[in-house]
Amino acid sequence: MVSLLRNQKVRNTLLQVLYVGSIAALVLAGIVIARRNLAEQGITSGFNFLFKSTGWDVNFSLLPATANDPYWWYFLIGIINTLFLGSVGLMLATIVGTIVGLARTSSNDLARLLGRTYVDIFRNIPLILQVFFWYAIITHLPTPRGAHEAWGFLLTSRGLYIPFPNVSNAAFAAATLAVVAAIVLPTWLGRTSRLSQPIGQRRAIQFTAAAAALVCAAISLAVGRLPDLPLLDFPALQGLNLRGGLRIPPEFATLAIAIAIYGGSYIAEIVRGGFKSVGKGQVEAALSLGLSPWRVFTLVRLPLALRAMLPILANQYVWLMKATTMGIAVGFTDFFMIVALTINHSGQTLEAIGILMAGFLAINLSLAAVFNRINKAIALKGNQLRG
Amino acid sequence: MEMVVVAPPAPGRLEDLRRRFFATPLQAVLSLACLTIMVFLAWKLLNWAVFSAVFTTSGGPEACQAAAGACWSVIAARWRIIFFGLYPYEEQWRSALACVVVVVMTVLSCIPVFWTGRRIALVWGAGTALFYVLMKGGVLGLAHVGEEAWGGLALTLFIFVTTCLVGFPLAICLALLRRSELPWISRTTGLIIDGVRSLPLISILFTFAVVLPFALPQWLQGDKLYRVILGSALFFSAYQAEIVRGGMQGVPTGQEEAAMALGMRYWQRIGRILLPQAMRNALPATINQFVISFKETSLVIIVGFFEILASGNAAYGTGEWRFAYVEVYAFIAFIYFVFVFSLSRYGAFLERRMSISER
Amino acid sequence: MISGNSTEPGGPALRIENLDKYYGTFHALRRVNLAVERGERIVVCGPSGSGKSTMIRCINRLEQHNGGRIAVLGTELNDDVGNIDEIRREVGMVFQHFNLFPHMTVLENCMLSPMIVRKQPRAQAEATARRYLEKVRIPEQAMKYPGQLSGGQQQRVAIARALCMQPQIMLFDEPTSALDPEMVSEVLDVMVTLASEGMTMICVTHEMGFARRVADRVIFMDSGEIVEEAPPETFFTTPRNERTRQFLSQVLDH
Repeated sequence: MVSLLRNQKVRNTLLQVLYVGSIAALVLAGIVIARRNLAEQGITSGFNFLFKSTGWDVNFSLLPATANDPYWWYFLIGIINTLFLGSVGLMLATIVGTIVGLARTSSNDLARLLGRTYVDIFRNIPLILQVFFWYAIITHLPTPRGAHEAWGFLLTSRGLYIPFPNVSNAAFAAATLAVVAAIVLPTWLGRTSRLSQPIGQRRAIQFTAAAAALVCAAISLAVGRLPDLPLLDFPALQGLNLRGGLRIPPEFATLAIAIAIYGGSYIAEIVRGGFKSVGKGQVEAALSLGLSPWRVFTLVRLPLALRAMLPILANQYVWLMKATTMGIAVGFTDFFMIVALTINHSGQTLEAIGILMAGFLAINLSLAAVFNRINKAIALKGNQLRG
Repeated sequence: MEMVVVAPPAPGRLEDLRRRFFATPLQAVLSLACLTIMVFLAWKLLNWAVFSAVFTTSGGPEACQAAAGACWSVIAARWRIIFFGLYPYEEQWRSALACVVVVVMTVLSCIPVFWTGRRIALVWGAGTALFYVLMKGGVLGLAHVGEEAWGGLALTLFIFVTTCLVGFPLAICLALLRRSELPWISRTTGLIIDGVRSLPLISILFTFAVVLPFALPQWLQGDKLYRVILGSALFFSAYQAEIVRGGMQGVPTGQEEAAMALGMRYWQRIGRILLPQAMRNALPATINQFVISFKETSLVIIVGFFEILASGNAAYGTGEWRFAYVEVYAFIAFIYFVFVFSLSRYGAFLERRMSISER
Repeated sequence: MISGNSTEPGGPALRIENLDKYYGTFHALRRVNLAVERGERIVVCGPSGSGKSTMIRCINRLEQHNGGRIAVLGTELNDDVGNIDEIRREVGMVFQHFNLFPHMTVLENCMLSPMIVRKQPRAQAEATARRYLEKVRIPEQAMKYPGQLSGGQQQRVAIARALCMQPQIMLFDEPTSALDPEMVSEVLDVMVTLASEGMTMICVTHEMGFARRVADRVIFMDSGEIVEEAPPETFFTTPRNERTRQFLSQVLDH
């Protein structure tokens, strides 16, 4: 027996069996105990509850939702809310981060100082504190009667009201898609090697694609327009309440602002790091070819910096996507809050936690997949720039 | 012809300014815009926070609310609840002392003399024990104060310190298991690490606080505080494990081979050769992770702990100080800022120093 | 030489029989046979990728062999963990890239293993370390860190570090290949001294001058096989195999 334990192969097998076995045993024991405890409270395990109606409301949904809807529909709403808040937050954070990051790499000392102050302040304060802060600010805004107004935008404690086109939901969604296509399509056409025309023609094709997409957007807006109403609906006070326009609830606005500002400070550092990684040699070579500073920036520094940034940016985006779970702090019904409410109301603890894990795994994996695609598409071919 | 070499005249102060900020029209516009923004913000901020602010409690909340600037009286009136939460009033010196212990501990860990496994473990072990005794009492003539009465900054620091104390060794174990040559061990560990990393911290805290009691036998459940600390430590260790593993990958394979050839056993190789070098490689990223997890301790408010943010909410949320939320948040933000900023500056300094010594 | 606690006095130092080693599907060693007597000095040479490093790394289990037998000092090298530890204690190794521990001083490098593996008291370990540093002619560098030394000095420290374990066999894996030319001789001198004191040595090296001066036998390997095995005078003057001749003409002709 002792000599057997001295054998390396026996040892290795034993160790592996012990390790994997004990972890599996722990997990299994946990599940068994949990099922017994839940059964004592009269909760039967299984996924049948997904088809029961919830009996409670969500305060934010892009899809129609009532308390009669089943749990699976609520989970879907939660995921869509998370993705929607996440993408709005990411977009805003990227804009903020790019501006601040560029300021930090600028040759102007004042701009650098300004950028650095921004990053130092907002990076070093926890996100949840910033969420609480902005939520307090927004909920302490005046009531609709005394709303701050500017260019048709209204700031009130009930939320932010913005002008909104008077069109059907479907038409608006179609128009949004078309606008996104107008931005993405030319870039994609420029990247793809399928276009081997000379540069002038390629520009023309890109331009046509963008224009076509925009025309589609205009058409869908025109078709989906509600009759007898002006195209743009401005919010206005009627009685004690505001009518018209689009209301952005305080919860959503809070989270979007907080994510934009906090995420922006991180993205600014990524942007700065990306530009820092561009070799001096490349820039000097471009300048010595007689390119103007602007063209050096757009043709050499930006593309190279972008490639250096992308993998880190991907991680940051995944992090920010997970940060939407702060929604529970202010009562925004994101995916996690829906899961927490489900556990509270139905008691289906294990199933709900399982769904939560699966949901975030799916979100993470798909984000990672998208970024890998982009990364591969723009990666420098070969290794000519290493070293 | 006689050559006279004349050094170009040193640029005057005005000339220097012109070159730095007004070299081109675009630069001039940019400089002016930045200057305007900065002056405007600085003035607004100073005016609010200093010139028009009220600092004393003498006028009471009403006088304070009427002022145009910040009402710092709320801090003067409520600082005890922000720092100590619901800790018994006459025992609050213990809570304060405990916070000082943590600060001292952190400062000591930043001094290279303490960067050996044994010393750092000693500092943290002793520091945490001292903290615990001070807070909990029940010995040495100190009155017993249960965990449910802990709060404010002291609770935040306690959660952070214990998270690191549990999470750090766990991270090293996970990193070692993940780089194991035995495929099933490394695969299972990889699955655990990646699984934890893909989840948001809030969901893990929630699971440990609310769901775990169902899955544990009665005698193992323990206090909610310690379950949450365990969850937070698990999350910390999943991230830190990858940092440690990165550090290990930076140690050349020849190091372990040399140790093997000298007859060292697995734990001798790990403890004497691999870890000291790996931790050195991983130091800047580790400090960064500490900074992040300090900020993330604030999330325990969501599972219902009375840490500094929650006690801040309580400080303005009840009674006559309802209007003073900005001041309270600004104060808490400032506390976080002091901790986080100094730590991250230190990390940046270390990184610079290490990159110089590598050259 | 001071000899450690010998496992089996008398008997050959090393016996390798029908050794096979695969990396995936690549056959790195093909049925290699080799016997080394105590006090014998073997030089192994051959083109890169011929398996010579792999062979000596199998001797102390830095690589695990897939077939055949290895017995070191009478101890069978198999899956028995105790045997592996025992063999590693008695076999010293010097690497191409020195592999000194950069976070320890030269002295600590030399003292660590005697202290934690052989359980020697600190004073004894330090005395031994200083004696061997003297022997490799760098006693004055004891308190420096490896990064502060030249390549040749580092390699000499590595030799001293291996000797501090008082091994019965020394393996050298291309000890001079990573050195600047002017530092090669200082390392070779130390190795020559060591050889003259009767250490059992197996050296993988391209230094043919060293082989000629020191070796009892020269072994030529190619494609994972031992192609030729002869005393240096016959090896260099009348090699039997065509591949050996080709190799020698490449190494010696410039």
